[in-house]
Amino acid sequence: MTDPGQGPAEPTPPSWVPPDGDPRPGPPPVPRPGGDPQPVPGPPPPPGQPPFRAPRRFSPKVLLIDPVRMLPSLLVPLIGVLFVGGFSPRSYAWAAAGVVGTVLVAVIRWATFTYEIVGDRLETKRSLISRSIRTIPLERIRGVDISTPPMHRLLGLAVMKIDTGASGGKEEAKFDGVTLAEAERLKPILLRRAGRQEVPEAAAAPAEAQEQSIIAVPRRWLLYGPLSGAYLLTPFAFAGGAVGLAFQWGGDLGLGQDAALSAGEWLWGHPYLLLAAALLLVLAMPVTGGLMYAVFNWNFQLKRRDGYLVAERGLINRRSVSLESRRVRGYDIVDGLAERWAGVVRVWAIVTGLGDSETRGQLLPDVPRAVAYQVTADAIGPFRADLRPHPRVARKRRLFRAIFPWLMTALVALAGAWVSGLTLWWVLLVLALVLAALGIPLGLDRYASLGHGYDGARLSMRSGSLRRTQAVFERRAVVGWRMRQTWFQRRAGVLTLIAGVGAGTGGYAAVDVSKAQAAAFPAEVTPEWLSPFADEPPKS
Amino acid sequence: MNRVSRKAVGLWLLESLVAFVLFLVASLVVARWVGGSGWSWVPGWFADAPWSLPVATVVLTLPFLLTEPFVRYAVHRWELSGDVVYARSGYLTREWVFVPVSRIQTVDKGQGWFERLLGLATLEIRTASHAGSSTIKGLDFRVAAGLAEQLARRAEELRDDAT
Repeated sequence: MTDPGQGPAEPTPPSWVPPDGDPRPGPPPVPRPGGDPQPVPGPPPPPGQPPFRAPRRFSPKVLLIDPVRMLPSLLVPLIGVLFVGGFSPRSYAWAAAGVVGTVLVAVIRWATFTYEIVGDRLETKRSLISRSIRTIPLERIRGVDISTPPMHRLLGLAVMKIDTGASGGKEEAKFDGVTLAEAERLKPILLRRAGRQEVPEAAAAPAEAQEQSIIAVPRRWLLYGPLSGAYLLTPFAFAGGAVGLAFQWGGDLGLGQDAALSAGEWLWGHPYLLLAAALLLVLAMPVTGGLMYAVFNWNFQLKRRDGYLVAERGLINRRSVSLESRRVRGYDIVDGLAERWAGVVRVWAIVTGLGDSETRGQLLPDVPRAVAYQVTADAIGPFRADLRPHPRVARKRRLFRAIFPWLMTALVALAGAWVSGLTLWWVLLVLALVLAALGIPLGLDRYASLGHGYDGARLSMRSGSLRRTQAVFERRAVVGWRMRQTWFQRRAGVLTLIAGVGAGTGGYAAVDVSKAQAAAFPAEVTPEWLSPFADEPPKS
Repeated sequence: MNRVSRKAVGLWLLESLVAFVLFLVASLVVARWVGGSGWSWVPGWFADAPWSLPVATVVLTLPFLLTEPFVRYAVHRWELSGDVVYARSGYLTREWVFVPVSRIQTVDKGQGWFERLLGLATLEIRTASHAGSSTIKGLDFRVAAGLAEQLARRAEELRDDAT
């Protein structure tokens, strides 16, 4: 069964695809070091099934999902048709046509899309009249993200996203509707090749195939959720969505503008009702925010499996993100104002070539700071140095920037009040003064956040106040240095030092460091690069 | 430290000229449109003297547009030494970029209209990070071609795929 000659004429190495009847090939096969790809020794294929190179389709069960998913968008026009046309046979025919059309589209989509692993490539094919083939070399695959939305979960299906590290969303394959077993089968095949290509020795170690839990976040830490400020706006989103839907359906159901206007007038006539509604929404913010947070981060687990960091989370849509350890360069430790008060932080991974890292790279939801330090040290690597403070001029600049704009606004408002005497100007004046006063602690805190450091292996840079971010990344991830000095910074004798990193956001900045620091820090981290330019940046 | 080509001053002057014309035309159009409209919210002094807007535009932008080419020529530097490319640039905001040759992924040289006219080229040195990438403007075409060639060859030798 290993003879490639049995397959179609193309002389590719034998495929890794095991026979159709065996979706779970036991333990994930361990690749041989340095050797050619070996086929998985599985049970012989059942008769009547092609042994290799069988292009696969998604599970036909996905046909149940697509129409159901399209139903809501069909519903409104359908109701409209039924109402406008009355319950005549004709409107039933239209409605039926809509449903049949949806199903037909789903069937065609399902039937025309096939995928196949050919040698060391993943090929996806969509062929109806024209034909489009996409080939993804397996070595390009950097991560596989399996999630199971509720309907998929009911049917035992999953959505697989295959991340190829190319920038932009287009270069990413999405398998919406493979069976869970197939997803589990494909995942090691797709991922292993990437790991094997460059570190055969490591991959050969049998212990690597085991799964090792790094942390399972306890449920009670979900209570920190509202502090994160995430999903806080959900009540407003819901309210907005409801109003929008009411308008859309109202229009379809024949309630005209007059009805809407009179409803608005009635509401305007009862301001207390409006106020109560607004208050209710505001009060609902932490509750719904916390609920959403809990739903998304339910049972958060971080594991190490076969050279990958795997983060699993979610109650309804259980999501599993695999990050190749080899590509992880560091992590971002993020805490907002409320989180800092409670002593909790969130952590994201800094990964090379990870699209959409904001949602995908999350390593930890809100956990106590000490736990986060321990987990990141364990999973990626510790940062063992103190952050160096930035010069005092930086504090002046932070304060100036936090206060000055509001003072200017206040001045304008004062002038406006002087000239026109409108109440509005006075309100603006008070508001601006309050914000300027708030700028004092904000500016001080922004200064306190500033810092950069190096412990011999990793660099760290921290900034921000309302959302403070501390980036920790490896020295080898640095691909260059950039220093910027605005005209104002030149006056103050400081500059911004940016470490170019081929991962994450691409660059991490130490804001407002002194000239001495800007010269010394790169020289300390990468001495071999900076030595020819010992007197740069120029002393002014 | 190498300066960029002297002809770069000409390039920047041309660019300033284009910017100047654009500003002037835009302010003239706005002045004519608003000044002659008779809208109630337009202050009286402006409606009386709509030509003040183009004048203000010229007075405010001209010093910047005129000094920029010369300041840039004085500031811009580049150097390849010890397998690190160094570039300094800027006018009001200064920038220093250090890119080690071993991390370079691509080296492009490009020429816009004006650059072709003057025999200049822009060298773009890309790494995996935009913050670690460098653009050197205003090089003599032959210098840029030679540097690009040298960098590409050296980068090939030093290739270090840590990122």
